[in-house]
Amino acid sequence: MRWCLALLLCGFLAAVNALSSSGSRLLVVLDESTDQSAYSTLWSDLKGRGYDVSFESPKSDKLSLFKHGARAYDHLLILPPKSKGLGPSLTPKNILDFLNKDGNILLALSGRAATSSAISSLLLEVDIQLSNDRSSVVVDHFNYDTVSSAEKHDVLLLQRPGPLRPDVKAFFNGEGVVALPRVAPQTLGSESNLVSPILRAPATAYAYNPKEEMPAPEDIEATGSQLNIVSAMQARNSARFTVLGSVEALEDQWFSASVQAPGGKKTTTVNREFAKQLTAWAFKETGVLKVEKIEHHLATDGEVAPENLNPKIYRIKNETVFNIEVSEYSYDKWVPFEVPGNDELQLEFTMLSPFHRLALKPVGRTETSTIYSTKFTTPDQHGIFSFRINYKRPFFTNIEEKHEVTVRHFAHDEYPRSWDISAGWVWIAGLWSVIGGFLAFVLVWLYSAPATDKLKKTQ
Amino acid sequence: MPAKRHAASTNTSAAVPVTPATLSSGPTTLKTNASAVAIAQNVWEQYVATTPQRTLLLDAFMAFLVLVGGLQFLYCVLAGNYPFNAFLSGFSAAVGQFVLTASLRMQTSDSGSTLSSKPSSKGKNARFANEDNEGQGSGISHERAFADYIFGSLILHFFCVNFIN
Repeated sequence: MRWCLALLLCGFLAAVNALSSSGSRLLVVLDESTDQSAYSTLWSDLKGRGYDVSFESPKSDKLSLFKHGARAYDHLLILPPKSKGLGPSLTPKNILDFLNKDGNILLALSGRAATSSAISSLLLEVDIQLSNDRSSVVVDHFNYDTVSSAEKHDVLLLQRPGPLRPDVKAFFNGEGVVALPRVAPQTLGSESNLVSPILRAPATAYAYNPKEEMPAPEDIEATGSQLNIVSAMQARNSARFTVLGSVEALEDQWFSASVQAPGGKKTTTVNREFAKQLTAWAFKETGVLKVEKIEHHLATDGEVAPENLNPKIYRIKNETVFNIEVSEYSYDKWVPFEVPGNDELQLEFTMLSPFHRLALKPVGRTETSTIYSTKFTTPDQHGIFSFRINYKRPFFTNIEEKHEVTVRHFAHDEYPRSWDISAGWVWIAGLWSVIGGFLAFVLVWLYSAPATDKLKKTQ
Repeated sequence: MPAKRHAASTNTSAAVPVTPATLSSGPTTLKTNASAVAIAQNVWEQYVATTPQRTLLLDAFMAFLVLVGGLQFLYCVLAGNYPFNAFLSGFSAAVGQFVLTASLRMQTSDSGSTLSSKPSSKGKNARFANEDNEGQGSGISHERAFADYIFGSLILHFFCVNFIN
């Protein structure tokens, strides 16, 4: 029992020390033939950020993503294998299972050799397509490195990407150029809203298979910025699947290579920073949202007593206040979450369909979170309602909150008294004149009664 | 005062101050080709002269209730029915009181005018009629009818006041 507790404590400590918000066990899958030392800066960077990196060959018998039905690793980095597939323990199904169990995956491709069909079918599962021949390379005659690929033009020099949309936070931006040698291009399916491009090829780029003739125009599927160099899929459980087109960009030699764009000056690449941003996002060090606290109560002046917080029941037309604290994970700590750009966090008050959809405004912040709040009047409809937050944005983990409350109708003594409504005075007067008339009638009737009886008797 | 009207209703006719032509035995003085105004006037005079005093009182109260109810309905049509419960309450108080009063009139006025009428069997209260040793000739004694009326009215007023809040 005691050692069990100690183990639990150790587990908690490990979780606290881990820099990623979702664990530190990182498995790197790479061929034995691949030179592990070519990426030594990447490994030391990852270890320096707190990852517990282990290496396995895809053909290894010991390699298994699961142990006793649970994930054996938190994150998976797959380098392109030289062989045909990824082996029996890394079938597309296994990898998707890993994703379904909240594991994050960074898959690197290479344009040097044809991508294996196993990887291609895995990518199809997440609605990312490779070129038909699976061995194309992105070429750009305007943004290439004149130092290393003066002839082939297949080392792209690109700026780091800004925000995808004005209302999406930029996780990969910054100064400097990134060198991306021999990129295997991807195209994104239009049906899935879970995939989003991280880095697109420039408009002047195209995909080209060096081993074949130039394809006929009708065979070209995508050109220019339709080609993605880095793309991401964030599943509904917020697990991340990132595809990097050029594995060579992670090599030591490109981390601080000296490059020169045509007509430009000689600069050093910022691949190291970009690799840090990319792995940090892929392994959930950035863009992770957490709801700290949710409070709702009746609108009152001043403090709300704790027993009046989060009541189970409201009445129709109650003035209600809703507060939510949201934190964002940034590399090693939780920071207050700021809604990017002109985007807004919204609260829905729903019964089957939303009766209110309101923007939550930041009203304060704590050390680690921002407090968003809104005030509204419950609708004139009683029933079981729920406060809902449904915030799903590219590159942020999903926030889905649902808190049920009952909304009751007015109690019998909660309606305004009749005389408070001046429009009803006429009818009140009518009612009381009927009652007054009745009393007067009864009195007169009783006065007139004895005489009648006496006369009757005398007859 | 009541004695005068009672005298008229019981065909004694000696103390009636109006013209002897307007006896309760019928509109004998009206000519066959009288004008409509004359007929109406004759009917009114007949009514005033021959109706017992209590029935007149009932009729006056019912007219008052019609007036009050009509005014409330008119106000609802003109000004809208905003506190609808107030309208329902006020209007239905007038209507309900009218119905109750009409019932009272049915139970009390017949024996006053026609003593010879056979015992009527109005309502379920008819079988209690013989228990009254007074023997009004009608199905039910006036006191009993009046008590029922007050009881019903109080219930009506209670509901209306409660409903108007």
